[in-house]
Amino acid sequence: MNDIGAAPESPRAVADKRSKPALLRAIRMALRVESAAVRHNTQAFNRGRYREVAELTDYDALKDRARQIKEEAITRLPELLATLQSSVLAAGGHFYLASSAQEATQYIAETCRRSGSRLVVKGKSMTSEEVGINRRLAAEHMEVAETDLAEFILQVADEQPSHIVAPAMHYSRERITELFRRVFATDEPLDTGEELTRFARERLRQKFLAADVGITGANLIAADSATLMLVESEGNIRMSSLLPPLHIAIAGIEKVVPSRGDFAPFLELLGSSFNGQRMTSYTSIISPPLSDPVLQEKGQAPQRQFHLVLVDNGRTAMREDPVLREALYCIRCSACLNSCANFQAVGGHAFGGETYAGGIGAAWEAGTRSLAAARFSELCTGCTRCINQCPVRIDVPWLNTVLRQRLNKMNASPVARLRKPQPTPGTNDDWPAPIVKLFWGRYGMIARWGARLPSLSNRLAKSALVRRIMHSAVGLDRRRELPSFPRETLVPAARREMAPTIEHAIGKVALLADVFTNYTSPQRGLAAINVLRAMGVDVATSEVIADGRSELSQGLIAAATRQARAAAECVGVFLDEDRDLIIVEPSVLAMFRLDYRHLLAPEQYERLRQRSFDPAEYIWRLLQQDAGRAAQLFDAGRSQVGVRIFYHAHCQQRTIGAAAANEALLRATGFDVISSQVECCGMAGSFGYKRDFYELSMAVGEDLFAQVRAAESDGERILVASGTSCQEQLHAGLKRNVLHPMQVLDSVLRNEK
Amino acid sequence: MSCMTAASQSEGLIQQFETSARRSAATTQRISRSPSAIAEAVFGLVPQRARLAISDPVDLAPDLFTESWKHPGVIRERTRSALSTADAGLTEGFAAVARSGSICVRADRGFIGYVSLLPRLHIAVVDSSCIVERPRDLFGGRLAVHGLEHNFVFITGPSATADMGPLVRGVHGPHRLHVLLLI
Repeated sequence: MNDIGAAPESPRAVADKRSKPALLRAIRMALRVESAAVRHNTQAFNRGRYREVAELTDYDALKDRARQIKEEAITRLPELLATLQSSVLAAGGHFYLASSAQEATQYIAETCRRSGSRLVVKGKSMTSEEVGINRRLAAEHMEVAETDLAEFILQVADEQPSHIVAPAMHYSRERITELFRRVFATDEPLDTGEELTRFARERLRQKFLAADVGITGANLIAADSATLMLVESEGNIRMSSLLPPLHIAIAGIEKVVPSRGDFAPFLELLGSSFNGQRMTSYTSIISPPLSDPVLQEKGQAPQRQFHLVLVDNGRTAMREDPVLREALYCIRCSACLNSCANFQAVGGHAFGGETYAGGIGAAWEAGTRSLAAARFSELCTGCTRCINQCPVRIDVPWLNTVLRQRLNKMNASPVARLRKPQPTPGTNDDWPAPIVKLFWGRYGMIARWGARLPSLSNRLAKSALVRRIMHSAVGLDRRRELPSFPRETLVPAARREMAPTIEHAIGKVALLADVFTNYTSPQRGLAAINVLRAMGVDVATSEVIADGRSELSQGLIAAATRQARAAAECVGVFLDEDRDLIIVEPSVLAMFRLDYRHLLAPEQYERLRQRSFDPAEYIWRLLQQDAGRAAQLFDAGRSQVGVRIFYHAHCQQRTIGAAAANEALLRATGFDVISSQVECCGMAGSFGYKRDFYELSMAVGEDLFAQVRAAESDGERILVASGTSCQEQLHAGLKRNVLHPMQVLDSVLRNEK
Repeated sequence: MSCMTAASQSEGLIQQFETSARRSAATTQRISRSPSAIAEAVFGLVPQRARLAISDPVDLAPDLFTESWKHPGVIRERTRSALSTADAGLTEGFAAVARSGSICVRADRGFIGYVSLLPRLHIAVVDSSCIVERPRDLFGGRLAVHGLEHNFVFITGPSATADMGPLVRGVHGPHRLHVLLLI
């Protein structure tokens, strides 16, 4: 146990999450103590980002440029480091390349000691957190003053950062007041943000003026001119780099770019991707040492000294790892944290390691600490909301999927290692993996068996004994109602009636019988077929196709690849017949449009991506987005279920751009639609069914439920959702029936007959 | 002293800068390009008893602040106690960015780093002909010599924090930024 002596809610006690119980304790602590402040802050950052990037007319071009600069810089890294070293030396500075955290702290401690330093002021630097510089300097009897107000709070509270940009965002103003009162035992007023800021400022101003050393990080470093880009809002980094005679900058080696001109896209992307600020208060572009003398009271000013400490600490190995290499492009803007529904609910003390937090944090902890330290990546549900938010286009969910595969191998029990299967050519094999992963990753197979005898399966699924066994054996939470199996699954039901002969069909499609629609929600598939046929579309129905989604979500990449290949082969027949693919389940559509880029050959993926559609998306395209035609076909006035709708789009459906058409189509046909504004419902496939994550899943869902309640302040609305698991989550939270958009349109048609 | 050699700066860009600067909680004021106009504005902003630190221009005309040095509270010493207790600091900015409302101020030369950072009020004088559209324009074109060679800071509004809960303006750096735009 690593928390002996620490209070149960102490974030430090749960910083190390190499064991599952530690991770679960951290989630409980965060939900109980920190969730309200975390939610408030991350959601404000997230809204700000959406608002601002919508105004950046060349947002995509900026992202492309930023990505290109980082890719090239990492490719040329050894050469850039050599250039940087000579330019630092030419400017009169010192350069040190630390291969480990220990080397970095050793060098810094020695540099401080040699200059007789006693007081160090520090700006915020994640790299300095990573290497643990404060502990080392304290051991040398030096005083370290954290001067960023968030870091100041953490230093007072002795906690690790919970966010890579706003490290104390888990503290509400009230909790800061309480903390300061307790620790400082002062009579000074501490009841507003202004008062707290003044209190910290006055203490820290004295430190700045007396400091011997200023330690800063660097957001980027230009190799040719030894220039630091330092981004901040409070002025503490400017102070730390200007007032003390000795300036030490510490940064990871991945921060180096060729020249100052390469800073350009990042100047605009960094603040806007964080919280929508076009520029934060101060962005310094400096090549130290500065030319102005150090301020003195009297006498000769000491000569300025500058040391640049670049830290490797695992980064060279990350660079050689095709997947972790992506993390080196990260500019620490936090967009992936703030757009993550799970992160919004618990923050980085649960969804984070000892230094780095959030989805991208797992790759960093794995790279700079150990694979085991990345266990918290389990909190990445693969909802993909972060993908489009990353200014350097890192596919964070994919990094976590690969980490999951590696963690599976590490955590597999001896029993799980017994039978080694034949390897799948062209993939990293999944073997071995914990046996429960095999349960969760085999949804298609389980559903196939369950659907054979639906009444028996449904009875078993409701049996308390069965649920208790499932709860403890595979971690399927018994508080969750399981989707029930229908009397007839989609494929036989769709094929029972002969397809009508449609002359002059306006489109030809194949409806893909995905495992979710086929086994548990055939009504929405039948509704889609009916709606499409009514429009004059020639619809064929595929066999049941397992797509690999549930395998992928468990890190079973080889199994998912096998499914992807088989699925591609199955649908190839339809594509050859010139049929487009209609995929009802958004998480399956997202496989075809997004995830298959990692699993299939590029040309095969590209063909599937271009020809796969959400039903409403296909219809809206067919109608050429003509609201008049839509209203003629589906008059909401004839709806049998009412015209007031609350629509919740599926997370992955939004990422691939297939959600907007659903809203547009429903509105065009005369429905009064209010859409959810949450990133994810919290169920996220199998995530919310797991015993370990039930509370977190429901906490995330609460934001969605609250939005429904707000939208219904003037009367009830029909609940409509595209995703199977979103429907289950809405049902769990609100105990109401939830429809698919196609069922809504189908109800209009049926009323016409 | 002007950045443009051809036609004067477009009014649209100036207005965009003013709007963005105010959005980031800076205040702006247009004045004519003369030492007396600057001094008048400075005297209006800095009370007689307040202590004013000045860093003379190196990019704009060197005599621009001559009248401002007549302020009764002006600080001439360059000691730690003098500069750290100044109430106001007057500096030039060599450029401004319309889209973000930032001004670009050197980080060293003539104690400008201290004068622009330590006091509660920072008054920055920027020539309206030196406004560019976006931050990236500092690294190319007519301003490249500054952007690529000098130590400088993009300053966008006063120092600020949200770490103590609500947004607070005025942390370690200035609590107020006032930009005098030379027209």
